[in-house]
Amino acid sequence: MLENKTEILRGTLDMLILKTLSLAPMHGLGISRRIEQITDGVFQVKPGSLFPSLHRMEQEGWIRGKWGESENNRRAKYYEITSAGSARLGEEKQGWSRLVLTIGKVLEAS
Amino acid sequence: MPFLSTLRSVLRTPFKGEELDRELDEELQSYLDLLIEEKTHAGLDHAEARRQALIEIGGAEQVKAGVREARHGAALDMLMHDIRFTLRTLRKSPGFAAVVVFTLAIGIGANTALFSTIKAMLLSQLPYQEPDRLVASGKTYEGRYAGPVSRLDFFDFRRLSRSFDGFCVLSSTNRVTMTGGERAEAVGAVYTTWDLFPTLGVAPIRGRYFMEGEEALDGANVALISHDLWQRRFGGSDDAIGKPLRLDGMSYEVVGVMPAGFSFLYEADLWILIDRSCPIDADRDSHSLWAVGRLKDGVSLEQAQVDVDAVAKVLEEEYPDTNKAKGLRLFELHDFMVGHVRPSLNLLILTTVLLLLISCSNVAGLLLARGQQRVSEMAMRSALGASRGRLVRQLVTETMILTLVAGLIGIVVAFFFHNLLLRLLPLGDPGVPVPSIDGAVLVFALVISVVTGLIVGIVPALRGTSADVWRKLGSSTRTSESIGGTRLRTLMVVVQVALSVVLLIGCGLLIRSMVKLASVNLGFDTENVIGCTYAIQADDYSTTQERVDLYASLIEEIRALPGVTNAAAVTKLPIASRGTDWPIWLASQPRPEPRDSNMALMRAVTPGYFPTIGIPLLRGRDFAETDVEGTAPAVIISEAVARDLFPDQNPLGQLVKLGWFDFAFEVVGVVGNAQINGVRSNLKEAMYLPSTQFGPTFQWLVVRSEGDPNLLAEPIRSLAEAKDRNAVLGDPVTMTTLVERDLTGFRVVMLALGLLSFVALILTSVGLYGVLAYHVSQRSNEFGIRFAMGATPTEVIGLIMKKGLAMVSAGLVLGLIGAFMSSRLVQRLLFEVQPLDPVAYGAAAIFLGGTALAACLVPAWRAAGINPVTALRRQ
Repeated sequence: MLENKTEILRGTLDMLILKTLSLAPMHGLGISRRIEQITDGVFQVKPGSLFPSLHRMEQEGWIRGKWGESENNRRAKYYEITSAGSARLGEEKQGWSRLVLTIGKVLEAS
Repeated sequence: MPFLSTLRSVLRTPFKGEELDRELDEELQSYLDLLIEEKTHAGLDHAEARRQALIEIGGAEQVKAGVREARHGAALDMLMHDIRFTLRTLRKSPGFAAVVVFTLAIGIGANTALFSTIKAMLLSQLPYQEPDRLVASGKTYEGRYAGPVSRLDFFDFRRLSRSFDGFCVLSSTNRVTMTGGERAEAVGAVYTTWDLFPTLGVAPIRGRYFMEGEEALDGANVALISHDLWQRRFGGSDDAIGKPLRLDGMSYEVVGVMPAGFSFLYEADLWILIDRSCPIDADRDSHSLWAVGRLKDGVSLEQAQVDVDAVAKVLEEEYPDTNKAKGLRLFELHDFMVGHVRPSLNLLILTTVLLLLISCSNVAGLLLARGQQRVSEMAMRSALGASRGRLVRQLVTETMILTLVAGLIGIVVAFFFHNLLLRLLPLGDPGVPVPSIDGAVLVFALVISVVTGLIVGIVPALRGTSADVWRKLGSSTRTSESIGGTRLRTLMVVVQVALSVVLLIGCGLLIRSMVKLASVNLGFDTENVIGCTYAIQADDYSTTQERVDLYASLIEEIRALPGVTNAAAVTKLPIASRGTDWPIWLASQPRPEPRDSNMALMRAVTPGYFPTIGIPLLRGRDFAETDVEGTAPAVIISEAVARDLFPDQNPLGQLVKLGWFDFAFEVVGVVGNAQINGVRSNLKEAMYLPSTQFGPTFQWLVVRSEGDPNLLAEPIRSLAEAKDRNAVLGDPVTMTTLVERDLTGFRVVMLALGLLSFVALILTSVGLYGVLAYHVSQRSNEFGIRFAMGATPTEVIGLIMKKGLAMVSAGLVLGLIGAFMSSRLVQRLLFEVQPLDPVAYGAAAIFLGGTALAACLVPAWRAAGINPVTALRRQ
C-alpha cells in the first residue's frame, strides 16, 4: 500500500518498479528509496506492497532476482529487468499515457 | 512462452513452497539489515535504528502472507494447506465432524435417490420416435375426463380429424390361450389398429408391420409377436415369419417380431388387429380402448384438441343416444403415462426437500456455534497476517470437505432410499424408464453437496471472521448475546421446528389412513382361502352345458379333497382382478344416459361361491345347479345396489336390465357389500350372474380350507391338469396375500414418510438442544449471580424453558400454517381422512412439543446445577 499521502491505482506500482529497474539493477530497499526520491517523497513504497509486487513480476518473467553484495558488503537480493519486462514497461507506459489523455479530456470537457 | 512459465510456476509453488518461504525470510532479513544500516548512518544508535526499522517494515508475517497470496498457484497452494489444516482440526473434534457429516448425508442421500426417480419419470424421453409429438386420449362426459374410448367412436375420430400423422387405438392386455405347442400357454394379447407401430416409430426386427388393408378385411388373422415370445416359442429362428399360431382356437399368422424390450402402455406377448368384426366395444356405449396419435408436424396439442372437439360435435349430432355430451380429451403421452405416480412423487419430493432444509439449517447452526467458539482463533490468525478473504476461504473449505464426505456417504444412503422408492412407487409401466443410480445421479449428488456446502458454510464463515465480532471479544468476555449470530441460530431452530411439524402432520395423516384401511370391513373372509385361474379352450367344448359341467365336476372333485371345506368358481377373484362395471337399471324403465347410470361390478359365479368366499347372503337364495341355460335369467345383487334401485321395496322378484343384454333378469338374492374392487375402492355395488347360465371359458377356482390353504395348491393343480390337458392353470394365491399386496404400496409410503419425519424430529431436537446448551454456557455467570442473590433452581429452569418454548411455539405455529397450505399434496393419498384432520394435527403438535420439551430440559437442568462460586470465579 502506498502511504496515505497519495492513493494511486493498483498496478501502477508495477510500472514504477519496472521503470526504476530499467535504469539499473537494484535491491528492495534501493527500489523503495529510488521511488521516494524521484517522486519527492509523494509515494512511499512499504515492504507490504513492494515484495508481493516483486515476486509476482518475477514469476511473470519481467524481472529476475539474483543474490549479490551491497556497497557495504551486505548480502542482498538484486532485481534486474528482463527483455520481457522492458516490453511490458513499454505497454504500461502507453496504457498510462492513454489513460492520462482520456481523463484529461474528460476533465476539460464541460 | 508466458503460458508455459505460468504453468511451471503454478506447479512449482505448492511443492517448493518451503524453499521459497526460506528465501523470502532471507530477503526480508537483508532488507531489515540494510534499513538498520541506513538509519545508523543517519546518526541513530543501533537499538533505536532497529526499533524504527521494524516499525517501518510493519508485520513481517503480514508481508510474507501478502507475497504468498501474490504468487501464481497460490490458490492451489492454499487449498492444499486448508485441506491439511481442516483434517487436523476435524481430527480434534470428531464429534462435531460426525454429526455434520451424518446430518448432511441423510439429506443428500434422500435427495439423490429421489432425483434418480424424478429423472426417470419426469425428465427422460420415452423410447419412441419424436415422443414430444405423441398424444394419448380418453373420453369425457360433459367435459369431465371419463377413461377409455369406444372402438366405433375411435374409427370416426380417425376418419374425420385432420391433426394427426397416424391415430391408433389399443386394448389392455387380454389373456388368451395359445395351443399347438407342447402345452397350452396363457399369453397376453393386445388388440390394436394397423398403424400403432408406424405411429410410435418402432420397426419390427423381423418381418413387417401390419398393413392398412389388413385392418379393413374381416378376419385378417395376422399377429406381431414380442421378442420374448419369439425366443420362447420359435427359438429366435427366422423361420418364425409366416408360421401359424393358435390363439383361443383361432389361427393367426406371424408376420413380424418386435425388438427386445418393446412394449407400449401394456405388457404383451403379441399384438393382433382390431378389425371391423372384432368383439371389443360392439357399440358406442362400450369403452375399453386407449387412443394414441402422433401430431402432424407443427400442430400443437391445443390445435388438435379443437379439431377433435369439432369431430365430437359431429358425432353428437349423428348419434344423440350414445354420444350426447361425450368428447375426447388429448394428453401429452408422457403426462398420461406417469400421471398416476405424481401424487406419491410430489409428496416425496416435498418431504426430502424439507429434510435437506432441516439438515442444512441444523448444520449451519452447528457451524455458527463452532464459529463462536473459534472467534479468538480467527482474531489471532488475522493479527498474524491472514486477510479476511483468506479466513473465509479456509472456513468454507472446511465446510466443503465435510459436505463432500457427507455426499459420499449420501450416495450409500441414496442406494438404500432408492431401493425403498422402487418398491414404493407404482412403477414398471411398459415404456417408462426404470430409475437407476447412474452417472447423472452421481453428478447430481456432487452438485447438491457443493451447493449445500456453500449455502451452509458461507454465512457462518462471514460471521465468524467479522471484525465487529472480534471487537466485542476485546471489549467484554463471553456475556454478549449477539456474538456470532445467536439470533440467526434461534431463527434456524424455529425453521427446523416448523418443517418438522409439516412432516409429522403428513406422517400422521398417512398413519390415520393406514389405521382406517386396516380396519376396513372387506365384506368377505380372507382367512384360509386360495384361488387360481383356470382357462379352457372354447372349441374343445361344443355347448355351454359342457363347459359348465367341466367346471362343476372339477369343483366337485376339489370339494372331496381332504381339508377342503368349500369350493366354487368366479370370473374375477376379489382384489386380484378388478373392473368390469356395467350399468344396471329397472326393467320397467328406459335405459338411462351413461352419466346417470347406476354402475355395478359384474361377476359370474358358480353355486356355492358366496359361502366359499364368505360374503353373507342377506335375502333370497343362492344360485343352484338348476339355473342353467334356458331357465329364467337370474341375478344376485349387493346390498348397495338394492339400496340404489329399490330404496323402499323388496328387491326380490324384481326385474332389472343390465349391461348390454336386451332381456331382463330377476333378482333372486341380496348379498352383503364387499371390497371386491380393492381395499380402497368405494364401488360397493356388485351384481352376480350364475355362470351356469353362460359357461365362461375363464374362471378363478376359489377354495376354502380348514388349515393352511397353501397346502392345497398342489392337489388342486394335479386335479385341474388331469381334468383337461389343454386347460391353462394360473399360479395359486391366497386371499390374505392379495389383501396384503393391495396395501403394500401405501404402507411403504407411510413407512418412508414416518422414517423421514423421525429423522427430521431428531435433527430438530439436536438443533434445539445445541442452541439452548450454548445459551446456558453463555449466561452461566449471570445465573451464578442470580443464585448468589437468592434465585431458586426452579426460577432458572423457568428462564431457560421460557426461551426454548418461545422457539418451539413460534416454529409450531409456522409449521401448522405450512401444513395447512401444503395439505392438498397429500389429499389424493389419504383414505377416509380429511387433509385437515384435527387428530393428526394435534398429535403432531403434541409429539413435537414433548420431544422439544425433553431437548430443553437437559440444558435447563444444567443451568440449575450451576455453582455460583465456580461460575463467578471463571469471570
